[in-house]
Amino acid sequence: MLARAHTFTIEGLHSRHVTVELDIRRGLPSFAIVGLADAAVREARERVQAAILNSGYEFPARRITANLAPGDVPKAGPGLDLALACALLAASGQLARERLESHALFGELALGGEVTRCRGTLAVAQATRQAGLKALVLAVDAAHEARLVEGLEVAAVAHLSSAVRVLSGGPADRPGQRDALQRSVRVASKRGSADAGPDLREVRGQHHALNAVVIAAAGAHNILLSGPPGTGKTMLAQRVPSILPPMSSAEAIEVTRIHGIAGGTAKGLVNSRPFRAPHHSITAAGLVGGARRGWVGEVVLAHNGILFLDELSEFARPTLEALRQPLEDGRVAIVRARGSAVYPARFMLIAATNPCPCGYAGDGDRCACSEGDLARHRRRLSGPLLDRIDLLVNFERGRTHDLNAAPLMSSTAAREDVALARERQATRLKHEGLAVNAHMDVRALHKHVRLDEKCHAMLRDACERGMLSARGQHRVLRVARTIADLNANGRVRPVDLGAAIALRSDAGIAGSRAA
Amino acid sequence: MRTSERDPRPSAACASCRRRSWLLAELGATLDYGARDRGRLMELLALGDEELMRAIGGRRRADLKARYARLDIEGVRSVEGVDAVCRHDRRYPRALSGAGAPPMLNVAGGLERLSELTAGPVVAIAGSRRASDYGIEVAKGLARGLAASGVTVTSGLTDGVSVAAHAGALEVRGRSLAVIPGGVDVGYPAKRRSLYERVTRSGCAVAELPCGSPARRWGHPASERIVASLASVTVLVEADETARELLGARLALALGRTLATVPGRVTSPLSRGPHALLVGGAHLVRGPADVLELLCGIRAPGLEGIGRTRPELEPRLRSVLEKVGAGTDTPDKLTASREDAAEVLLALTELELMGLLGRGDGGRYVPRDPLVIECADG
Repeated sequence: MLARAHTFTIEGLHSRHVTVELDIRRGLPSFAIVGLADAAVREARERVQAAILNSGYEFPARRITANLAPGDVPKAGPGLDLALACALLAASGQLARERLESHALFGELALGGEVTRCRGTLAVAQATRQAGLKALVLAVDAAHEARLVEGLEVAAVAHLSSAVRVLSGGPADRPGQRDALQRSVRVASKRGSADAGPDLREVRGQHHALNAVVIAAAGAHNILLSGPPGTGKTMLAQRVPSILPPMSSAEAIEVTRIHGIAGGTAKGLVNSRPFRAPHHSITAAGLVGGARRGWVGEVVLAHNGILFLDELSEFARPTLEALRQPLEDGRVAIVRARGSAVYPARFMLIAATNPCPCGYAGDGDRCACSEGDLARHRRRLSGPLLDRIDLLVNFERGRTHDLNAAPLMSSTAAREDVALARERQATRLKHEGLAVNAHMDVRALHKHVRLDEKCHAMLRDACERGMLSARGQHRVLRVARTIADLNANGRVRPVDLGAAIALRSDAGIAGSRAA
Repeated sequence: MRTSERDPRPSAACASCRRRSWLLAELGATLDYGARDRGRLMELLALGDEELMRAIGGRRRADLKARYARLDIEGVRSVEGVDAVCRHDRRYPRALSGAGAPPMLNVAGGLERLSELTAGPVVAIAGSRRASDYGIEVAKGLARGLAASGVTVTSGLTDGVSVAAHAGALEVRGRSLAVIPGGVDVGYPAKRRSLYERVTRSGCAVAELPCGSPARRWGHPASERIVASLASVTVLVEADETARELLGARLALALGRTLATVPGRVTSPLSRGPHALLVGGAHLVRGPADVLELLCGIRAPGLEGIGRTRPELEPRLRSVLEKVGAGTDTPDKLTASREDAAEVLLALTELELMGLLGRGDGGRYVPRDPLVIECADG
């Protein structure tokens, strides 16, 4: 007796359609699963058997063969349990087969028959609709996520017996909350990141750094924060998500999908921008992904959000080098022995570092580093990575650090400025297919950044003095464009360009000592 | 091009003077021992060849003497682009005629150029190897002004002030003279290779050890003695009170050269050296103009020039420049309110573009000219 069920397996950030074919015939009792199943899928035999028996169904004492097609796609994870169990029940005549053809099943079984959620629900839901299946049967607590996909019937089941009921035409466990959830999506995307973590009001002093961070957020520029320990670099970086504009619903769904697969615990729609702050001991594979099949790295998890690298100079050189492609292209292509994958990775990089190994360069006579130490420190930071950072802001320890001072800026006010500036950018860059100034290529720069006579002269002087490389010029122009957008200027004025040059990353961490 | 192809004589240094160089290299390790006491090192370097072998030859004395006697000096390795010159040649710097000065030098950059460089006024810029960015900018500014006025700047090629002096001279396409503690072709230290090459392209590098010798510890004080001897004025920029940092100044005084120093903040340990020397009667230097006055008696612009920045500077730029000079040197400190933040950044950038401000550690702005008086290119 043969039965067929539909399910999905996760591969990288995508889910692949898997057909479970299950055959029961006479012979010595056995249960074999074929079709490139990994350990978790093979262990399904025990779970499925226990769940079926504990749910009051009969487990046939016959020769059972399950084939997972297509045979060349590796299947991983426990999400295939539900499909296996239902196919077995159908093949043994305990369940009608017709609905199995139109329903996808995705969920792990507990030994008692309870259905629990698995990673990657949203991706599976999207794939179910693409595969043309009518409905998706899955765990109750995963239903929120699956209902984000429009035009898909979602049947939440708490138990294997509920799944049998649904497949026999009965009701799901908690039916149709779609409307309420759709409403919550819309509300969330409007409210955006209003409640996203700590607020800029808690920062005292450092208005130079505050301004720079607002500029960076407005144009999605990568920024390097440099300063002695304890001056608030990390504190400021953690508050950047609070001033970023909310994600569009497409962005939010993409982020939810990625985090759903990578084991994020989020339920429903993720509506605050990701903020990833990996420790500096991270490896290159941990950062970009590929350490294990389907393993996505921090850059992918930071997609549409912020990647914060604290103590930048402590990261291993190969790790930082690995950031070049994502910073340039907004995606990361991983090639490993077992295959290759391209993941989205468009994020804003915030990096923080001390100006020298001891941390006190420029702070009176406190710095105890030799010239060799400084040169080594500078070498670690310079090069291709610094080339992709648009802004450098130096923090200082000083009198302005009065903890009782009035807050300079609230996140709400800053977020409004940023949102307006982004709107202006989006309008201007619509035809280029871009959204923010940081992504402008040279052609777009020439088209959209018009300079007056004085600005041209400033730029020329800067090049002649060796302050800017050709690439540095482009970075400065992008930042100048963003500053002009923040000030609601149609053209870039000298004051915008002046600030952009003052904040350029070419200025270096320790300036004059380079002979 | 090899020296021998250009010049019928193989070398501008006579055999006996070149033997001295060979001997110093042979006794290198022993001299390192002697270098622990700098006074004794200078005494040793002032000895003649025979006396030197007797003084520190130790057990190797007899063997050394024999090898010294039958040394085939023409057979000693010569290096392309490096010429030897000794005190018997007219191109040898006159300033090196005193007792204790090396009898011969290996020169990278050409003998004619060396004699050109040392015929005019020579100023040594000495100071701390771990100078602050104030010291670095002051040294660079002095070197810029002096080199632009045609003065030869000389210094070692180690760290801090000495490196800044060469870099400053090169900025205005001036000429500088570097003294190397090892063989002149070794280009020690390796991290200064690019600077070494830029110096020798327009100026010279000299060393008293033969080509190929590794730099030894005693080479540093020994090369400071050559720097101090070559220059008629030694300017000390930032030094703490240790004997090592003040060695250049002491040697200049011992040689009877003019000693001048740049003052700093009294709170900085790096000002202790210069201030102690100022109290002891050294000349005070505020900028290149003061050094030029010491050199050739030209009156520096007096008090009327001080405090008056470039007259063509706009008032808003001038006030920012003055504030930076007074220690309000970061955008954060310079900004009073959020509204003028953009203006401050614009002014800082404009001043940086004019070359009046540079960047120091931690993004601080540093005035690039030590004095507001224009003396070099204005």
